[in-house]
Amino acid sequence: MREVGILGVGAHRWGKFPNKTYVEIGYDACKLAIEDAGVSWTDIQAMTCGIAYIGGVGGLVAGHQVAYALGETGIPILNVFNACATSTSAMREAYLLVASGCHDIVLALGADKSPDGFLSGNSQDPLDPEYVRFRMVGLSNPAYWALECRRRMEVYGTTEEDLARIKVKASKAGALNPNARFRRQYTLEEVLLSPMVCDPLRLLEICATSDGAAAVILASMDKVRQHTSKPIKVAGVSLASSKFGDPAVRVLTVSAPADASASAPFMSESVIAAQMVYEQAGIGPEDLDIVELPDNSSWHELVYMENIGLCKRGEAERLIRAGATEIGGKVAVCPSGGASSFGEVVPAQGLLQVHENVIQLRGQAGPRQVDGAKVAFSQVYGMQGNNSAVLLVT
Amino acid sequence: MMIPTQKMVPAMEGLFTWPSEAPALVGSRCRSCGTYAFPAYFTCINPACKEKRVEQTTLSRIGKLWSYTIHCYAPPPPFKFTQPFSPFGIGVVELPEGLKVLGMLATVDLNELKVGCEMELIIDKLCDDDDGNELLTWKFAPSAGGSS
Repeated sequence: MREVGILGVGAHRWGKFPNKTYVEIGYDACKLAIEDAGVSWTDIQAMTCGIAYIGGVGGLVAGHQVAYALGETGIPILNVFNACATSTSAMREAYLLVASGCHDIVLALGADKSPDGFLSGNSQDPLDPEYVRFRMVGLSNPAYWALECRRRMEVYGTTEEDLARIKVKASKAGALNPNARFRRQYTLEEVLLSPMVCDPLRLLEICATSDGAAAVILASMDKVRQHTSKPIKVAGVSLASSKFGDPAVRVLTVSAPADASASAPFMSESVIAAQMVYEQAGIGPEDLDIVELPDNSSWHELVYMENIGLCKRGEAERLIRAGATEIGGKVAVCPSGGASSFGEVVPAQGLLQVHENVIQLRGQAGPRQVDGAKVAFSQVYGMQGNNSAVLLVT
Repeated sequence: MMIPTQKMVPAMEGLFTWPSEAPALVGSRCRSCGTYAFPAYFTCINPACKEKRVEQTTLSRIGKLWSYTIHCYAPPPPFKFTQPFSPFGIGVVELPEGLKVLGMLATVDLNELKVGCEMELIIDKLCDDDDGNELLTWKFAPSAGGSS
């Protein structure tokens, strides 16, 4: 396997764009990435793309639709879906295509538009657990998160202020990011006064759903070095699923095996995916300068900090209180503003994190720049125990 | 004018025994390794289990509250509710079989809910349907005996 690096990145601004299709949004992200890479679309030898699951049957071939707009060139195009880990799953395929020597330049894309409000299930089959979950219990995604969060509060003494602090931190960073959808800076009081959605999680502590896109072009490290004086290497990219018996309740289900562990719930797939990239890179969590996590809610940020080894179980609150994870702190967590400031685009958010980390490692992040950042980690999680991590180094 | 009596009907069949003096959830149990599931599942999900001999079984009616939330906004379809929407509780209850089961709660009063407190299964109203029937689901209620 040969070394793989980042040739270019591009992202469409995230928000609500009623006058644009997801294909146009994805097209714009690709154009920016191609321009950033200093190549042309006809140089791209293969493409991997997240399935735009809101985009109907056409969205199943989102990559082909965007390639149609860019001009069909006959290259292999693979469309993949892995819930919120979709776009970094696409990136992992792109990585493997380059690392194996199969192709030299491969583009990975995620793009979609999201409906307003709670994400819902599509299944009408009463035998499907997903149907049961909504129909009989009213379990939205934030309800699962709230249940895990309440359990954490019980086990570790997490306070409502801790949950609110995470939003305050995210909003400070998001206010500095021109690509973010929400750029208002919130105070602790404002967050604590926002409406309760699923107790103990409030409206401002749960990410919105957005429209957006991000694209990354990967190439062999030799080619990347020729193109730029500040090459960024993909030191690790992983994909993991969960292990039976861990203490998390899988979103989609209405039951889970009890676990004997004394800790608050965590996700085994996140721990495994992080370990995989650390081993690939020979780097540990203590070496990270920047971390983009799946902060779908304030609870997520706490548990994922621990999953990836930034601190021991039950210690994330202490780091947040000390400001250790702010820009300028010991390790910047979600210096992009995170999903909290962008909103989630299920098949694109992993590549948005990669885009943000590349901008940081190049020193191009302007007022939100993490000084001297050399090692950047990102992780997204998907429902039903699925996770992907990316480790970039310069 | 005669007002027809509202019929009480499970919102989905096969998930709990009803009508019954002591209704119970219908789950499954692996006779080889003892892994439980709810709703009843077609196989055993324990990767270490080789034989996977699954049988249907009713589950304990009493368990301990593992966690809880109050859902303050209407969830998306296929959830249905009778207008106007009012907030409802959701809990995770750990059963003695070694299974955590999620379900609605019979209360939205946070003072009645405490992690570890004893909860009892009841069958209760989910919503009305278009034909005037009362649709039922399973819920957990704090046990009359209080916390354990």
